[in-house]
Amino acid sequence: MPSIKYTYFDGRGLGEVNRVMLAAGGMKYEDVRLHESKWAGMKSATPMGELPLLEVDGTTICQSNSIARYIAREAGLAGKTSIDQAKVDMIMEGARSLFDKAAQIFILPEAEKAVRKKKLEEKEAPELLEYLNKLASGKGYFVGDQLTAADVALYVNYESVGSLTIALPSLDKYPNLKKVAENVKANPGIAKWLKERPVTTY
Amino acid sequence: MAPKYKLTYFDVRARGEPTRLLFAAAGVEYEDVRITFDQWPAHKDSTPMGVLPILEVDGITLSQSMSIARFIARETGLDGKTRLERAQADAFVDELEELIPKMAGVVVFAKDEKDKEEKSKELDKLIAERLGKCEKLSGSDGHLVGNSLLWCDLVLFNIAHNIEEVYKAGTMQDYPKLTKVCDTVKANPRIAKWMAERPAGMFDF
Repeated sequence: MPSIKYTYFDGRGLGEVNRVMLAAGGMKYEDVRLHESKWAGMKSATPMGELPLLEVDGTTICQSNSIARYIAREAGLAGKTSIDQAKVDMIMEGARSLFDKAAQIFILPEAEKAVRKKKLEEKEAPELLEYLNKLASGKGYFVGDQLTAADVALYVNYESVGSLTIALPSLDKYPNLKKVAENVKANPGIAKWLKERPVTTY
Repeated sequence: MAPKYKLTYFDVRARGEPTRLLFAAAGVEYEDVRITFDQWPAHKDSTPMGVLPILEVDGITLSQSMSIARFIARETGLDGKTRLERAQADAFVDELEELIPKMAGVVVFAKDEKDKEEKSKELDKLIAERLGKCEKLSGSDGHLVGNSLLWCDLVLFNIAHNIEEVYKAGTMQDYPKLTKVCDTVKANPRIAKWMAERPAGMFDF
């Protein structure tokens, strides 16, 4: 059984997809939450000066998306065939782009922030969610008919963007995505994690 | 018999070229469809996410350039030798990927000289940051990860080619290990053949 240590800040942000997938896969790991003040001292010792990090049996992997793909493969959530894996990948990228657009807004100057926020809420997010809704099945799965990392990515990124105070359209408008979210929340490992995880502001 | 794979993109290198380089390196045939900006609006809604490139295979359409490249890397055995190597290769790609759209912002889409100058300053910082990190982590023998050509080397090469040939020649000399990776790619006979034969594209990017 490999020893797994996951390090991120004490929040969900772009690190939470990985924690949720570890939970779905029933994979035990050390959930290290770094206080911002400790980060500066650590930064240069990390592969690329960024969090999150995944340490597995002496190897350190960085880049949240690469970590996500690795965990998905290990947890059996990556997709059964190579082409299914590619479909899972593309959905993960699409879902993540929603979070990235939202996160970029917060470093903008105030005047620009309001304009970009409006554009995201009224145009970009509805358009992307519409495409994603078409890609999900009526049963609430993006690939095949069981949970994959694609479903988890949609749920966690949607939730994280909401907590960045972006007013996303309700999933009620996107029935397939609503089912995806329900399937994610119903997974026993994930349900337990959602109930027990530390409550954080982001 | 029609090739198994059909790649559709604009007539440029940019986000489509890593996949084309992969097909070349692996010696795998594919249909290399290039559409114009005029043709694009009619295509858009039939794509999974309203963007190019797309890859059609076995009746399925994939989108997202790096997901497509990773898929072809896997199909051709160029994704990594072990599970952890694959994750390490992925990490390099994640770190480098943004350089293509940011560079396009300067060399293709800049509105005027002032815009170009401002965006160049940001791009230079981004290049230094991303290539700096990759230089630190790169292998020393001409490969980013392990000891064989992987897709991350091709992703780097596509970017470095644009930096040197289109944006700012001389940049790569600050990154000797990465330069060695790119030289290894260039020396690959199949890659060299593709580069000699590939379409010039509607613009040089």
